[in-house]
Amino acid sequence: MLETTTIGSFPKPDYIKKARGQFARGEISREALKELEKKATEEVIRTQEKLGLDILVDGEIYRGDMTTYFAELMEGLEISGLVRSYGNRYYRKPVVSGPVKRRGPMTVDWFLYAQGLTKKPVKGMFTGPYTMTDWSFNEHYPTRRDLVLDFAHQLHEEALDLEKAGAQYIQIDEPAISTRPDEIDLAIEGLQIVTEGLRAKTITHICYGDFEKVYPRILDLPVDQIALEMSNSGYDLLRLIEKHPFTKELGLGALDVHSHVIETKEKVKEGIKQALEVIPPERIVVNPDCGLKTRTPEEAIEKLKVMVEAVGEVRAELN
Amino acid sequence: MITTVIGNYPKIPNRPRPAKLRNAITRFDSGEITLKDLKGVEDEVTLEVIEEQIDAGVELITDGMIRWEDGQTYLARGIQGFSINGLIRYFDTNTYYRQPVVEGDLEWVGPITARDYEFAQKGSKSPVKAVLTGPYTLALLSKDEHYRDRKRLVMALAKSLSKEAKALEERGVPWIQIDEPALLLNKEDFPLVLEAIGEITQDLQVKSALFLYYDDIEGLYPQILQLPVDLIGLDFVMGEKNFEILRKAPFTKSLGFGIIDARNTKRETVEEIVEKIGKIREIVPLDRIHVSPNCGLEFLPREVAYEKLVLMVKGVNKAKEVYHA
Ligand SMILES: [Zn+2]
Repeated sequence: MLETTTIGSFPKPDYIKKARGQFARGEISREALKELEKKATEEVIRTQEKLGLDILVDGEIYRGDMTTYFAELMEGLEISGLVRSYGNRYYRKPVVSGPVKRRGPMTVDWFLYAQGLTKKPVKGMFTGPYTMTDWSFNEHYPTRRDLVLDFAHQLHEEALDLEKAGAQYIQIDEPAISTRPDEIDLAIEGLQIVTEGLRAKTITHICYGDFEKVYPRILDLPVDQIALEMSNSGYDLLRLIEKHPFTKELGLGALDVHSHVIETKEKVKEGIKQALEVIPPERIVVNPDCGLKTRTPEEAIEKLKVMVEAVGEVRAELN
Repeated sequence: MITTVIGNYPKIPNRPRPAKLRNAITRFDSGEITLKDLKGVEDEVTLEVIEEQIDAGVELITDGMIRWEDGQTYLARGIQGFSINGLIRYFDTNTYYRQPVVEGDLEWVGPITARDYEFAQKGSKSPVKAVLTGPYTLALLSKDEHYRDRKRLVMALAKSLSKEAKALEERGVPWIQIDEPALLLNKEDFPLVLEAIGEITQDLQVKSALFLYYDDIEGLYPQILQLPVDLIGLDFVMGEKNFEILRKAPFTKSLGFGIIDARNTKRETVEEIVEKIGKIREIVPLDRIHVSPNCGLEFLPREVAYEKLVLMVKGVNKAKEVYHA
């Protein structure tokens, strides 16, 4: 009960940022960059083991961004240029200029590499069809639905490949789901296609939105676990859950990933206890609100340390 | 018929041009440069984007709102009574802003954007308009922990913004544009918006505009013609239905004709633009039209934004020829 995990991304060490810049300028080869990414991935695995997290991630060191990475590997997509998402953060926003098609597995090699480094389970993960659509410019498909469904069929193949490679957990990130409440049906339809027939435990992660407008409808998402941002909004979401029971496993976001401030153990415990009032411990997994890539490596470790300790104490109190 | 833009312009270009502002903010955050250095880069980039808009042929430009982290916090940081909270999503976009929190009585304590206007106008050979996020939209996108009453909050903001508008007028701004996209989320609040905009424009001599985007104005027409502004700007991309809606009653003001999609890279063609102008010409005389993108251009990569402005200007010039305007 109360297993601990993270949402996916870890901060890129300085040598990776530097190497990515060098690669972009043609100063180092793709192979040289990949060697460094492997080194950093191994460090992320060791960090998670040392922290005592239960379910690990590969850290997404090899991804520039959660949509761009896939856009660069798929047919039918190009990169339009840098677009600002907030503050001083920009991403290279994809453009869909033709039919979207997977050229081959996109995350399986990294999953296998990361899983090969540890005995603990590593999650297989990729960005979902609704978010891929919402975070790209669409210059090709007549409707958003056409694009979501095409992405969904392609990503279903990725899920099957991850399962074949041994992934026990498959996480499909859909941070954009809470963007347009009127499109929740479309998001559900897309995930239905992606998760069709999977035996692995399925998870989706959603963040930054007006959950009031999509709750309890999100409980119809065809996955076993939904990981939600919660601490950033003062656990307001729990009040909705009070009114309408959360029927799935909850990935409880307990660390604000956009703040430099390290949470206190008491604060994290308090959040977990609030959640325990509405969901039994067997159905709660504790994780940060979102990926940790925007924090410094030190902040990420400090925050996770507090989270793991807080969970340990709550577990002890429950026993 | 003139060409204009709605507000923000992409802050950084793509390679090989350097991302000056992004780099400067990173260096400022890590303590390598001073606030004064950062402000210097903001000025430099502002002049650059002014140049780009003029070069594209836009007649009525903005300063690109390079200093604005987003549409809300730049104003909220300048009004006493606000604090700034965590990130939340901006409308149905994949951009985020830090949510302003109303913690006490709101008070305008001095010009927030007036110096920006002066700087921009000095650096521009074309007229520069000032853009303010409207009191209703600011209220809706903030968290109210003080007034706990929408009307009181909106009117308090309107008071502050009316002083800001006055400060802009004193510095000679030719146009003040107020953006109220949030009205289209809650059309039943139109009477409140009407009162709030009146509070801002009642003592102004300068030309004023109100922009409504991300949707059509179904249910608000012809009432919106009561708004005490010279120009009403509408979104004909996400609100294509506006073409139909405006036929219901004579449009008695100038029209902001937002026809360039600032939320998708797909380029408009000159023919499409000419056709749309032909369509609006049956409803509003062309000498009362400001052609523009449907919203701020910052959702696009810089080069695409520029290219779209160039196409817009070409389309308008072609339309002038075709329709002898
Ligand atoms: Zn997230």
